[in-house]
Amino acid sequence: MLILSRKIGESIVIDGRIHVTVMRVEGEVVKLGIAAPSEVPVHRKEVYEEIQRSNQQALTKQSTPLPKLAGRVPKLNSASGSPGARTK
Amino acid sequence: MKCAEMIETEKPATRYEVVRMPTGLLGFEEIKDYVLMTNPDEQPFSWLKVQDNSALAFVVINPFIALPDYQPDIPQADVDILGLKQPDDAMLLSIVTVHDERRATVNLKGPIVINRHTHIAKQVIIANATAYSVTHPLPITQAAE
Repeated sequence: MLILSRKIGESIVIDGRIHVTVMRVEGEVVKLGIAAPSEVPVHRKEVYEEIQRSNQQALTKQSTPLPKLAGRVPKLNSASGSPGARTK
Repeated sequence: MKCAEMIETEKPATRYEVVRMPTGLLGFEEIKDYVLMTNPDEQPFSWLKVQDNSALAFVVINPFIALPDYQPDIPQADVDILGLKQPDDAMLLSIVTVHDERRATVNLKGPIVINRHTHIAKQVIIANATAYSVTHPLPITQAAE
């Protein structure tokens, strides 16, 4: 692993297009500013790993007893009945 | 003959929609082609099936059923990638973990956002992920007995 020392306000550049800047240091918390092209996903590692684990746990063969569960979950009060995003 | 045909048409058919996820699901990045299968008997659940012969699938649900005042903040980068012009272009699904017949949880941190028109989808880590859980309990009425 490459280890670099940086002062507040200093940056590193990855692949010529991802800029990581040390914004503030507050005790044990380091605030980083990340500027990257929109196609580069940037995530907190623990959130990423949590969703990854959740996906792995959710993966199933198509045999789970869904109809039994289905009758016991509230329906959505929606005219279209199809799931969708809502405006704020 | 006629009767049989009529009976068949009266029962709502299972719907199949092809969904392509160019970046896959987290942890399953290599799987990009899915079919969203909605069987009226299983609603409000649907299946997001891997489009091969593996029978691998995820159970999905409209997240607003799990949490009516869910307010996912979808990062602008993802809105751009998915080509969403207005909120109605997006369909949201959350992956359900079925623990047993009495308990199921829903991932509200990483919903799947589908462009209704292009059927391109992405599992999005919402900007306000810290406000939600990957194991949000799905309200299930316990069977009387």
